[in-house]
Amino acid sequence: MKALERHREFSRIWASAPGFKGLFSTVNHTDLGRMFLVTAFFFFIVGGILAMLIRAQLATPHSAFAEPDLYNQIFTMHGTIMMFLFAIPTFEGLAVYLLPKLLGTRDLAFPRLTAYGYWCYVFGGGMLLFSMLFGIAPDSGWFMYPPLTGAISSPGINTDFWLIGITFVEISAIAAAVEITVSILKFRAPGMSLARMPIFAWYALVTALMILTGFPPLILGSILLEVERAFGLPFFQAEFGGDSLLWQHLFWLFGHPEVYIIFLPAAGVISTVLPVMCRTTLLGYGWIVAAAVALAFLSFGLWVHHMFTTGIPHMGLAFFSAASTLVAVPTGVQIFAWIGTMWKGRPDLRLPMLHILGFFVTFVIGGLTGVMVAVVPFDWQAHDTAFVTAHLHYVLFGGFVFPILAGLYYWLPHFTGRQRFFYLGEAAFALIFTGFHVTFLAMHWVGLLGQRRRISTYMPEDGWTTINLISSIGGFILAIGIAMVLIEVILHMLTSRRSPRNPWSAGTLEWAMIIPPAPYNFASLPHVTSREPFTDDPELAVRLASGEGYLGRPNDLRETLTVEITSGKPDYHVIYPTNTHLPIIMAAVTGTFFLSLLLKAYWCIPIAVIGVAALAWRWVWVLGRKQDLPVQDIGHGIELPNASTVEHSPGWWGSLFLLVANATFFGSLLFGFAFLWTVAPGWPPPAWFDASAVELALGTTGAMVGAAAIRRARRANALRQPPLAWLGLCFAGTLTVAIAAAAITLRVPAPVEHAYAATLLVLGSYALFHASLGMLMVAFLVSRTALGFTSAARKTEFPVVQLWIDYLGVIAILVFLVVHLTGWLS
Amino acid sequence: MTDILRIVIAPLVWLAAFTTVYALHGLVCGHAIGGMPFGTISVPRLLLVSAYALAICAQIILLISLYARRFATQSEFVRFVSRATGWTALVATVWTLLPTVTMSHCL
Ligand code: HEM
Ligand SMILES: [Cu+2]
Repeated sequence: MKALERHREFSRIWASAPGFKGLFSTVNHTDLGRMFLVTAFFFFIVGGILAMLIRAQLATPHSAFAEPDLYNQIFTMHGTIMMFLFAIPTFEGLAVYLLPKLLGTRDLAFPRLTAYGYWCYVFGGGMLLFSMLFGIAPDSGWFMYPPLTGAISSPGINTDFWLIGITFVEISAIAAAVEITVSILKFRAPGMSLARMPIFAWYALVTALMILTGFPPLILGSILLEVERAFGLPFFQAEFGGDSLLWQHLFWLFGHPEVYIIFLPAAGVISTVLPVMCRTTLLGYGWIVAAAVALAFLSFGLWVHHMFTTGIPHMGLAFFSAASTLVAVPTGVQIFAWIGTMWKGRPDLRLPMLHILGFFVTFVIGGLTGVMVAVVPFDWQAHDTAFVTAHLHYVLFGGFVFPILAGLYYWLPHFTGRQRFFYLGEAAFALIFTGFHVTFLAMHWVGLLGQRRRISTYMPEDGWTTINLISSIGGFILAIGIAMVLIEVILHMLTSRRSPRNPWSAGTLEWAMIIPPAPYNFASLPHVTSREPFTDDPELAVRLASGEGYLGRPNDLRETLTVEITSGKPDYHVIYPTNTHLPIIMAAVTGTFFLSLLLKAYWCIPIAVIGVAALAWRWVWVLGRKQDLPVQDIGHGIELPNASTVEHSPGWWGSLFLLVANATFFGSLLFGFAFLWTVAPGWPPPAWFDASAVELALGTTGAMVGAAAIRRARRANALRQPPLAWLGLCFAGTLTVAIAAAAITLRVPAPVEHAYAATLLVLGSYALFHASLGMLMVAFLVSRTALGFTSAARKTEFPVVQLWIDYLGVIAILVFLVVHLTGWLS
Repeated sequence: MTDILRIVIAPLVWLAAFTTVYALHGLVCGHAIGGMPFGTISVPRLLLVSAYALAICAQIILLISLYARRFATQSEFVRFVSRATGWTALVATVWTLLPTVTMSHCL
């Protein structure tokens, strides 16, 4: 088969539906990556316009531009949009677009999940935009502290938009994180061991794992606060045994890792682009990987540095001050590795390199002011002043926007297949760089003179007038620069001439394909023997296109393979689902759920929940087969079993990492309970839970029976015996758990009267939710078995369900113990 | 997967120790646990410093195992990275929990 013919065949198999309508049913990572990036850039522009409004307001004293109420909405939405709707989705988009190409494979692990995440992001972001257009946007600052955000101080719907909209968007972050983790660990080209992974993949892996453990505390906090606002359960109200500090803990438990979640992907871009710009290889690959891992962990031990002024005892402050200074070390390791790379090579001042230099200058200054505010006495002076806002922009703009612009110009030929033609970019860089530093150097200064953040106006006597005016002028110079980038990119897409393949002479696999990329990426998958396969073999692209690699024979299926995590040895053959509207429908129904909460249309919630469950059922159902698949020949004499016939299928891995996030959520809930118990005023509660030995015993036994029965069912299936009886027993066990959990929710003392009862109610509901989920899964497995979709070979759904039943067992037993023991202890 | 665990285990133990000590500190202060049954050393100090010492011991044991041939990995790269993170976690433990020795508690 000729290369062209192969290209046509593969394109037919992998293509999305033609035209605009195809966007709604596409599951292709190249399409979705582009859609993510375009949407995120749109939000960047919106956030940027809000920033201009802020600077316009602050340019002069007594500004009459916006009333305080409106100004509150403006800066809150600016921060929220930049953090949640621009920065994180940009990472997701870049990773979704690039990873399969860098890793030498054809798509991500769960194509439909990518699409679902994207649509959740669009709908959730749309909700926030809507609130802004109608002047009912969130207005309590991007970290939403109660009691200001409680129902008493903020009775309007504004705060609900934030809590519900952001939680909705967060689903997309969790979905992307699961996707990215499993894809990097399993979906790589044969031979790509951990040591040969492109550095961006390491960064993306670390970032994804951080999203899985960093976002759940915020999701929990948002749920608790929304429940408090809607139903009066007093988690954050000191008069009823709650504590507003709990929110600060939960928020910053997320919030600090968040800034590294933003920085690390950008560092991944730097580590990828910088060596190419310097015509060399990255210095200290292993050191950089270790530094990224260290940074990820250390960043989870910093959260209290945002709470230095809340009256926490000195020793507690000192722990976090120490950790905050330490985190500069792995950051420094990376900076030095990059400097070494430049030293080793011959830096070429092309446009991406300019942005990298902009990054260096800006980010290092931001890091230094970061160490300043990590010192407790200094922070007591600078807290909540413009100094902090200036610091955070040095880190966020320096550490994210400059690297992303470098990446944008670097991969632009890849996105579009065209060559840069209009040299607006250099001038734009000069404007952005100057504008940025003028704006924010000035803000450090005015902050030290005492200007608080989030103020809509100030007096001429304050002496801040000139500095603020300078800062605002800088802001508008910056905005002109950004606008020029936008204009250049649009002109580029419309008019430029075709780019040659691999315009930067890079060594990584994303360039070993036609650009713009075909929907299947590689006509055959490479065998990787180094970190820069394309440098080793300049003919690689041609050889892959002519089918010399693995899986080079089109056979009407979207096929790829997975590898062993460490060694990169091929292990399973994977068949992907094809184009479908299921993700967008599922996202819409999920959105209905959130919308019903927002509009307090509670009657609609059960309908939405049943809708989501039914769609989820269908989602998994369509993957089934009634015949066993034989081992598949992938070329070069290698035969692989199909992923539906193995113990640990991609679905199992996905469940595992989703459960990691889930366990963090549960852990944060237990932390919250312990925190309120020990720290909050207003304890002991007026009434304790009436503990019951019978319920405790029943629930615990149910959990254990469920776990044992699913194991027996799995074994029976492997031995070709009917597993239905065991599945029935498992269902009964899970049902018992559900009943015991429901009993808790029904019997807690009045939850609106004290945070103790309110927390028990949440714990009971959490167990009840997971028990219901477990029952749904077991019912699914029963139908599958009854209708002949499983066999001794097609066994892969058993371990997945087992994983969830086991998780249910653990959390249910913990919940029962916590709830009943607190009843007895009192 | 074991190789990924090798890389993350030491920092994970640091994180666990760090949060445990912080929680312990919170408990001690929240419940006003006090008293000086051992001469000049108060109960909170004793608790906190023991936890600190325990955390350091755990890190040293981990680091030794990362160097031990018994738990060795096939991949030289993983060996390097896991030892680097092991050292980082040891340093982090010593440095970030140092306040248990030097600072006043509950003030
Ligand atoms: C485009 C250029 C930008 C300008 C001129 C700008 C300007 C500002 C200003 C003046 C404030 C302070 C508002 C106040 O305290 O009254 C602010 C707040 C903030 N900005 Fe930006 N910003 C820009 C880009 C970004 C980016 C790229 C990010 C994040 C990725 C970001 C994140 C934030 C956050 C989180 C806040 C705090 C909001 C709050 O206090 O609730 N900004 N920005
Ligand atoms: Cu922080």
